[in-house]
Amino acid sequence: MRKRCASPMPPRQLRLLSPETRLFHTIMDSSSTPLVPKAPRTPLQWTFDLLSGFGLATIILLMLGLLTWFATLEQIDNGLYPTLKKYFDWRSVFVIPEYNGRMVPLPLLGGYWTCALLLVNLLLGGVIRIRKGWKHVGNLISHFGIILLLVAGGVSHHYSERGNMAVGEGETVDVAEDYFEHVVEVAEVKNGVQGNIHVIRGKDLTDLRAGTNRIFRLPDLPFDLEIGGYLENASPVSVVEVAPMHGEQSFDGYYLMEKPGEKNAEANTAGCYARPIYRENNPANKTTPFILAGASFQAYTLKVGERIFTVDMRKRLWLMPFTVRLDQFTAEFHPGSMRPKKFVSQITRKEHGVESKYTIQMNEPMRYEGLTFFQANYGPQGAAPGQKLFSVFEVVKNPADKWPEYSLYIVAFGMLVTFLMKLGLYLAAVARKNRHV
Amino acid sequence: MRIEILVARFGLRVVPDGPIANGMKIPAVTLISCIVLMAGCQKKGEITVTEKRELTSKDVKPKLFATSDQRFKNAQPSPVEGTPPPHWLVLPASQFRLLNYRFGESGLGEVSVGLSAGTVKANADRWLRQFQLPPLEDEAFAKLRTVPLAGVQGVWLDASGDYESGMGASGKPGYGLAGIIASVNGQILTVKMLGPKAEVEAERGELEKYAQTLRLTHAATPAPAPQP
Repeated sequence: MRKRCASPMPPRQLRLLSPETRLFHTIMDSSSTPLVPKAPRTPLQWTFDLLSGFGLATIILLMLGLLTWFATLEQIDNGLYPTLKKYFDWRSVFVIPEYNGRMVPLPLLGGYWTCALLLVNLLLGGVIRIRKGWKHVGNLISHFGIILLLVAGGVSHHYSERGNMAVGEGETVDVAEDYFEHVVEVAEVKNGVQGNIHVIRGKDLTDLRAGTNRIFRLPDLPFDLEIGGYLENASPVSVVEVAPMHGEQSFDGYYLMEKPGEKNAEANTAGCYARPIYRENNPANKTTPFILAGASFQAYTLKVGERIFTVDMRKRLWLMPFTVRLDQFTAEFHPGSMRPKKFVSQITRKEHGVESKYTIQMNEPMRYEGLTFFQANYGPQGAAPGQKLFSVFEVVKNPADKWPEYSLYIVAFGMLVTFLMKLGLYLAAVARKNRHV
Repeated sequence: MRIEILVARFGLRVVPDGPIANGMKIPAVTLISCIVLMAGCQKKGEITVTEKRELTSKDVKPKLFATSDQRFKNAQPSPVEGTPPPHWLVLPASQFRLLNYRFGESGLGEVSVGLSAGTVKANADRWLRQFQLPPLEDEAFAKLRTVPLAGVQGVWLDASGDYESGMGASGKPGYGLAGIIASVNGQILTVKMLGPKAEVEAERGELEKYAQTLRLTHAATPAPAPQP
């Protein structure tokens, strides 16, 4: 906050003056016209004042409220993930909200950038420009708490990973599967077992729309891969069943039929086209392109000389540093409905031969080695009594996992300090007043 | 090293003879820097793959030299066969959906065929529960309309309202269900159409016709897992 003009005379001395003189001092004190003319502000000073101002903070908070409101409404029609991406991804600089499928002509700054602006505003206004002194230490602490919350959001946005792990009763699993990222895996098969599995990450595939290709060099292998025509949600369809309607290229009787994005984005199955580029010219090598699809049951096989390789598209697998065995799963529902009341998974976590028992249930996740396991789902749906169930955990790796909690403690502490300070000052003022009566 | 930017009491200023100020005087330098930065943001035409992973519990022995049919269609012969209307989109089968289709303008309409355990009434009650409806009384169950399905008579079930699959997902309001359940050779054959109510109502006739084309194949074996 900008410092107000200091009163030319302390209030205690003011009370001792005549009414006319007191009125003069009051007028002079509250007048907006400074006694000494202000020096013109430089552009940098003007920018600093704007960015650190309370007005900007108010506009940002209003904008965050609007973004949250519109996003909440829009996710009903468009699904949670696409809406979060639209409103809060760092790539969304501006957002045009939709309501009931109609565009709302109110362009808003994207949520990520609004928060970034709030962070700048808090740093400049709430830390650098704020009035300093022991009376304001509580505010300063609270501002640091909010800054930590905003930084936590940014760290989480850029560095957190989310996947799911489905474990059947009695089964042991050591891997989680990413919710959204489709990767291409190239592996060499020896004695029927895959090894040397190369992973082409989704971030290098998603921009390969129709007409854009990229060569992926595989130095360990006798071939490279050229990949293109990536589709976020597609199914391989037989030309016999449904003829291509948009001139799609078909290979071996199949083509990729693009589908609109699913409301639950994790149900999207990506697809693309690939072509091997061999290092050695050998007429026996197949060079025809082939389809890679997230919705395929088997990998594509390549034979180069006597060596055999598989190429497959799947959701990215994410190896855990320990294994999880599901000992027992129980699900309870509210009477007469399929609304979940309680899901409880009794698990055994095994790491370096050491076993530990743990219970994961709704709102009671397991936190271990930077990973958090939430009880997310179960299956199969409508299982008959006595049928073996599987439990689905959401696995989250977030370096800023606990930061929001810490920031809330800091904000609460700052507010408590401010409150106690105000209370102390008030009580002191009352005591002083009583002494003078 | 000279401090370029000084923090004044309430503002900042660039030192007039500092390196930033001097740099700004040379537009070409600024322009070239911007182009270099922009070029760095563009994706390359070639990437060397360095990321690898180990075998996991999810990896299964691969089926080598699979044909496209084996890769893109469930390799297991389907225990049920049928002829869908031409405007239904055929989707790959899954563990619980032996035949799987999509229909409707919204893209949300779905038809699935499965083999289930239990009784016809237990399955009907399970479907009703997904719409928060009470189980059928025996009398009401006996009065349900019957339609031909895979050579036998199956019961026809309608429901509408908020659909909850029971998988912890939020409810879907304004949904409709039309389905047929029959006991065929000791197994429960289910044909379930789900989607926005208006779209389901518009497709009920097609569903009834489709049900008449369904038949169990030799691959159908008793005691399968229940389906959604």
